[in-house]
Amino acid sequence: MSENRLGELEEVLMLIVGILEEKAYALNITEEYEAQADRKVAIGAVHTTLNRLEKKGFLTSEMGGATAERGGRRKRIYSITASGHRALANVRDFRLTLWKQFPAFAEGKLKFVLA
Amino acid sequence: MSNQHQAPPKLASRLLDWFLNEEFAEEIAGDLEEKHYRLLSAGSKFKADKNYWFQVINYIRPFAIRRYNSKYSKATIMIKNYLFVAFRNLSKHKFHTSINILSLAIGIAACLVIYLFISDEKAFDSQHSRKDNLYRLCEIQSFPGTNTQKVALSMPGMGPTFLADFPEVKSYTRYFARRNWLWTKGDNRFKVDVTARVDSTFLKLFDFPLISGDRETVLNEPNNILVTEKLAKTIFGSIDIIGETLKLDDESFKIAGILENVPETSHMQFDIMMSMLSITRENPDFNSEFGSNYLNTYLELVPGANLSSMAEKYPEYLVRNTGNEEVNDYYKLFLQPLSEVHLNSMDIEHDYHNYRKFNGSYLEIFTLVGIFIIIIAAVNFMNLTTARSSARAKEVGVRKSVGAMRNQLFWQFVTESIVLALIALLFAVIIDVISVPFLNNLIGRTLSMLSLLDSTTVILAVIAMTLFLGVIAGLYPSIYLSSFKTVQVLKGIEKSGKKSIFRSSLIVTQFSMVLAMIVATLVVLQQLNFMKSKDIGFDKDHILLVDMNQTANDKFDVMKQELLKSSSVLGVTASGQRLGNNFHQWGFKAAVDTGIVNVTPSNVLVEFDYLDVYGIELIAGRGFSKDYAKDDGLAFVINESFAKELGYEDPIGQSVGHSWYPNDSLGTIIGVTKDFNFNSLHYKVNTLSMVVHSEWNYDEMSIKLSPENLQAGISDVERIWEEMVPGYPLTYSFLDEHFEELYTSDKQMSSVISIMAVLSILIGSLGLFGLSAISVERRIKEIGIRKVLGAQHSQLLVLISKNFAWLILISFLVAAPITYYFLAEWLDSYAFRVSLNPLMFVAGGLATFIIAMLTIAYHTLKASSTNPIKSLRYE
Repeated sequence: MSENRLGELEEVLMLIVGILEEKAYALNITEEYEAQADRKVAIGAVHTTLNRLEKKGFLTSEMGGATAERGGRRKRIYSITASGHRALANVRDFRLTLWKQFPAFAEGKLKFVLA
Repeated sequence: MSNQHQAPPKLASRLLDWFLNEEFAEEIAGDLEEKHYRLLSAGSKFKADKNYWFQVINYIRPFAIRRYNSKYSKATIMIKNYLFVAFRNLSKHKFHTSINILSLAIGIAACLVIYLFISDEKAFDSQHSRKDNLYRLCEIQSFPGTNTQKVALSMPGMGPTFLADFPEVKSYTRYFARRNWLWTKGDNRFKVDVTARVDSTFLKLFDFPLISGDRETVLNEPNNILVTEKLAKTIFGSIDIIGETLKLDDESFKIAGILENVPETSHMQFDIMMSMLSITRENPDFNSEFGSNYLNTYLELVPGANLSSMAEKYPEYLVRNTGNEEVNDYYKLFLQPLSEVHLNSMDIEHDYHNYRKFNGSYLEIFTLVGIFIIIIAAVNFMNLTTARSSARAKEVGVRKSVGAMRNQLFWQFVTESIVLALIALLFAVIIDVISVPFLNNLIGRTLSMLSLLDSTTVILAVIAMTLFLGVIAGLYPSIYLSSFKTVQVLKGIEKSGKKSIFRSSLIVTQFSMVLAMIVATLVVLQQLNFMKSKDIGFDKDHILLVDMNQTANDKFDVMKQELLKSSSVLGVTASGQRLGNNFHQWGFKAAVDTGIVNVTPSNVLVEFDYLDVYGIELIAGRGFSKDYAKDDGLAFVINESFAKELGYEDPIGQSVGHSWYPNDSLGTIIGVTKDFNFNSLHYKVNTLSMVVHSEWNYDEMSIKLSPENLQAGISDVERIWEEMVPGYPLTYSFLDEHFEELYTSDKQMSSVISIMAVLSILIGSLGLFGLSAISVERRIKEIGIRKVLGAQHSQLLVLISKNFAWLILISFLVAAPITYYFLAEWLDSYAFRVSLNPLMFVAGGLATFIIAMLTIAYHTLKASSTNPIKSLRYE
């Protein structure tokens, strides 16, 4: 996988990080993903991906927010970096270009219900 | 919230703690705990626990796992360091290292050779794809008046009727082989070693490859033959000879196939193969012939056939086919799996087509010996390393105090021993490459180290075994050395004052094995020597055996006169069978008070001078003589065992005869000989009857040569033969060589055992040598002080040797009874054997003791003669 491309899961997780803002830590991200994608996933699997994204420089993290229900341990809060934003925008632009070239869609023959 | 009951599963969180990378430990443990409580508050504890486990297991991912060692070093760097330190240590202590490597190398080399030997033997008959379903039909014969015997022979009618009567039998082939037939090509004659007649199914059952010819049909014509590549080249100088003919007597046979040379690892060896149709064409009754056993039958069974349910039907089968209600009193059939023909036929007699037959139980002995040797070598390693622990204690202490973990030290020592084992493997291979050719010479094999390279599995297995050996040998020393307490070691508290029970018991194990091998070697050699020198009741030296054909038989009397004119020929006679096997059993009848009894002794057809030429001793009556007309066919000389069996008070003059003689015209017993060992010493002397029939053909002529002019004798025989029997090349051999062959298996075993015993002594001594060096070194101050106080040289010697002497004594007590038991069992397989002499054990024990004491003497002498000044100077 190229260093500055985003995989499907990576893309989705980045978006969730963006949605959750300061509540974006591994557990929350996992639960949000499970809720939105309606798929079960291990925290470890999500964490691996987050860790990888951080290495690629799309995410950054800092420790903070210890609470009692986690035995006084701190969480790692993730946030999107500038290059992360760029990568997300690239993916989105790329998709839109493709959709626009899709004749059935452009001519309105395909109906999408947009929620 | 955090009450015990609701906390995440302990084991799981411990597991998590154990493997998690510290960098992530806090957040992950936090996340998982938080998740756990969320699920708990949502409901079931079971679900929460299950999920916790699930999450923990799913964190076993590369990024989350603890980096081994500390964050300052990577595993690879440490391994490099281990190797570096290992090499430094090994090269620093050259004496210790070379003893270790040498003994391990010898041990591994010995095991490799044993492996080569065993795999060569096991390869026998394994080239046939149907081998698992192939069986040889054998019989257990218990005829009256003779010993019960297992034989590999069967009757011609058995093959076809087995196929017809037993649904388990899928196919059969008979194998009817004869030696030394004379084949001709034009005017050239060739004596062919083995000509085998087989059924057309033979090449389907057995995968002997063909170079040319159609294996499906080639045996379907009575006049088709196949020849081996080797024979084709001898006769034609080419293998492109399909369609050529060869003649046997006056009949022509067409070469319809060329066989690849029969592999060395096949129990059947043949040069020409003929179709059984060549017999059945002329004698259609052959296929239903019951009565005499003279060929081999091989059966292919359907997969999964039940042998025991087949065996239940044999008695009925035999009665039905032989038409004899009592046949089951004499015969019992059994099927011998093809895989056992080579290695499990030692008790089977009349086994004429079993090339290089070997005693399979010897392979188990070899395996055991191999294990012994490798243990002896591994013990050396453990002992030497732990014994040197005091020298390395400081190293361990320093390493620990600068932060080495116990498991790092452990791996360091294990690495050292693995490196050592691998170097030893290298040396072992070198030793074997050099020594295997010599060994081949000694035991008549064609073993090759290159055969190890044939399969990667074997190579990997050898390397894996070596690594395993390194780990096993290094395990105890590593645990022991890495357990030292830093402070104690650095303060200089000597641990070594304590006697190591572990080390002592290892020495006892080692020397028990050495002792067992020495005693076993002594007994095996004694038995072999016994067989070589035992008076077998006749003279087997300087007897030339000459193969006879029809012409030689026709001209026998004239030839005998001619031969006897030579000053180098001391006697000439002839016989129907060669000494050294069991003789064929024929029916025999004897008149007793109650009528006629039928018995089945061994029989041999002899010529008048047989007893004289062979120097067989008579204890009653007389030998055969031409002076009595009745001595030709109506006179019998029997052996002592047979006389006893018949139970006559005075056997001479009693009426006896072959079973086919009418009751009213029997012959008489004219003499009784002392029992002589016409069969090998593995077997008891069977009952025997000898008879002369001058009109029958003899198989072999026996010519006794004068030991002084052997060569002159042979050339005289060649000259006379050439004159009398032109066209039939002379083939001769010596009887004593034939007897040597009978004991090949035993001799090879004793060679291997002797070599291994010597090696085990060598390895054991190397270990003792190293150990004594260490123990002397450690006690050098004590010895110095004792000398200053006036101890004598001899007192010091005793002092140091005492411990080792005790250990060897204990080894003797451990080894002697076990060895006795096994040797007694082994000797049981010989009908004629030496008795187990306790002296052998004492001798073996003494030899071990003396060798051990001599080994350690070097260091003790050196120590006790050192000037005490040198050893005490520093204190």
